[in-house]
Amino acid sequence: MIRRISLLLVAAMLALAPHLAQAQLKVVTSTTDLYDIAKSVGGDKVNATHIGEGYQDPHFIEAKPSFVLQLRNADVWAFVGLDLEIGWMPLLLDGARNPKIRLGGSGYVDASKAIRVLDTPQGNVDRSMGDVHPLGNPHYWLDPENGRRIARLFKAKFTELDAKNAAVYDANERAFEAKLNAAEKGWAGDLATIRGKPVVAWHTSWRYFAEYTGMNIIAFMEPKPGVPPSPSHLYTVIQAVKRTGARAIIMEPFYDRKVADLVAKQTGIKVLLLPPSVGGIRGAPVNDYVSLMTYDMAQLAAAVK
Amino acid sequence: MRIFALCAAALVLVAPMAGAQDDAAARAKARQDSIAKAVKDSIALMKELGGALAAPADSAAAARPGQNPPSGPQGGPTNPRLLPDISAVGDFVADLSPDGSTQEDGARFSVREVELAVQAVVDPYFRGDVFLGISDLEGISIEQAFLTTTSLPHQLELRLGRYLMPVGKQNTTHRHDLHTIEYPYVIQRFLSPDGLKGTGVQASRVFSPFGFYQELIVNAVDRFREREDSLSPFEPVNKSLGGLGYAARLRNYVDISEAANFELSFSAITGRREQPLTPTYASLLADGVNAAVARQSVLAADLTYRWRPLQEGLYKSFILQSEIMHQLNESDPGIPGVNGCEDCAATSLGYAGPTRDFTGAYVFARWQTSQRTFVGARYDWVQDPLIDGRTLNAGSVYLEWFPSEFSKLVAGYEAVSPSGGETVNRLLLQATFALGPHKPHPF
Repeated sequence: MIRRISLLLVAAMLALAPHLAQAQLKVVTSTTDLYDIAKSVGGDKVNATHIGEGYQDPHFIEAKPSFVLQLRNADVWAFVGLDLEIGWMPLLLDGARNPKIRLGGSGYVDASKAIRVLDTPQGNVDRSMGDVHPLGNPHYWLDPENGRRIARLFKAKFTELDAKNAAVYDANERAFEAKLNAAEKGWAGDLATIRGKPVVAWHTSWRYFAEYTGMNIIAFMEPKPGVPPSPSHLYTVIQAVKRTGARAIIMEPFYDRKVADLVAKQTGIKVLLLPPSVGGIRGAPVNDYVSLMTYDMAQLAAAVK
Repeated sequence: MRIFALCAAALVLVAPMAGAQDDAAARAKARQDSIAKAVKDSIALMKELGGALAAPADSAAAARPGQNPPSGPQGGPTNPRLLPDISAVGDFVADLSPDGSTQEDGARFSVREVELAVQAVVDPYFRGDVFLGISDLEGISIEQAFLTTTSLPHQLELRLGRYLMPVGKQNTTHRHDLHTIEYPYVIQRFLSPDGLKGTGVQASRVFSPFGFYQELIVNAVDRFREREDSLSPFEPVNKSLGGLGYAARLRNYVDISEAANFELSFSAITGRREQPLTPTYASLLADGVNAAVARQSVLAADLTYRWRPLQEGLYKSFILQSEIMHQLNESDPGIPGVNGCEDCAATSLGYAGPTRDFTGAYVFARWQTSQRTFVGARYDWVQDPLIDGRTLNAGSVYLEWFPSEFSKLVAGYEAVSPSGGETVNRLLLQATFALGPHKPHPF
């Protein structure tokens, strides 16, 4: 009897072995941008999902229990870092009870470790400076060079966790970079148009984009990060727009554009809703990282030319 | 790297000068080859090390000037001294009620509580959380202090220490994080005015057999509710294990759409509590005994509906919440007899604790009107044990304003009407602020 059971168990294990061998890495990302890059690098070897949507403010995602179900069996948790997800990530990681994706776990991937950080505050930092990120500006994916770095980071992590598919991850990552490089060549005209043009941005989320494109952010609609515009601040913005001839107010679709429209009415400046993330505007062709960058570049160039 | 290359170059330049003699020339050539190989190896190693993050040669970005190396791998830890997170929350209340203060201490302005929190990961297996409460009324007290496992398998979690009991929905939230100034009356009367805590052990597990989130939480705590100092029972409530507090909660969370969801959960808690004897009967007992020990249980159900559109979520949201609780009281708990008068122990003669069951509920709604402002309203209905089970009705409205994520101002008006009593009008103002690290927003 025991022998028969043992044989059955061995047979079952042998039958399951190929399926186990083909098991995909479960990857959960905090944003759609990381999701798209993870999917590009992982291909069919990973099962990728994301928590936030491109059209919502990533600072203020609700820590819904249903997200815990996504995370509890994840092999990889990839997030933007630099405290972007500080308002909700700790609750989800505690709720998921998955040691693999906690700090120190094999699947804990802070993508900010791969990039060059801008706006790291110098000296003392306190909240009189608004919703400041003490570790630096977290909106770095809007620089395509950082997109490449994230892709390489994912390749390294996926290879570490799933070495047998290293060649696939390597090939996928190279293909992603090749696609981005090709797209980048096509942006040359737009970049030439944008470079040096004065614009107003709503939030500091466009700093990396500005660094890459050369657009000149002459004012932010928020007086301090995360602080809604006050009438006195709007007055200074209006004066700055008139003084510099800024052509566009760049803002994410999840902010209320009424205030921006007010500035536009006073100055004639255009209000440009730009998606900051993959899927950031429903119906717009921004369903992957390269398309997002292409779309934003084209929209901005058209607005400031 | 650069120093190494310079040294290598210097050595390469110096080497021929040392080669005046034949054997010296041979040695110099060997050294030259060796150095050249070392330089080549070093360059290869650096390329290999940099390869993971540096752009490939054909990358368009490779030629971009001024591109610094990534900060992450070269950067140090952000908390090199492994300090815990330390934060404080101040909670101020002003009672401007027209007929005098309705606060327990009669104050018009009070620091209701200052909460000091120290939180950190303890080791690879636990995290620790300590919350000290400081208030004028109670001095310093341990509000919560617990150890939580972080690495158990099968989504199991154990918690050991003192913590807010998972009974009902709002009781699991710190008072200063509530959308209202005080807990609903049903929680104040059936659990505790400032939130029911327990000291003991908790086990919980997340599961999803039906495709939605479920969590079962079970607890064993030292006792159910705090001891009243004025009551001295004839035996400790937890003399036997059956006298401990036992609680369970089953959470069921369902997403209706990406913007809407609801949670329907059920809780129960039971334990033995001190209940008063009649003064006459207590005077017959020795050693100052004036309380019996009686079982009390609470059954609860709560429903929360949330709506928050993802794109407009900074400006629009709505919560509708309701809880109903039913308190069951042991009607004949048994009280100590008096020498020579065993019949005197009949409950009807000596027991002054509750002998009937009570029910209470509330409905609360909160609507976000702008990025920083919310309006809310609550209706309370409770068979109030404090007035012999007569019905207490209360209606309240609130205006909340958040100057930032770290401060909150609330104005509340409430009309409380105990049956048979006069309606009491209350006007309350609250200001809270948080210092320290950014805490996750409660869900």
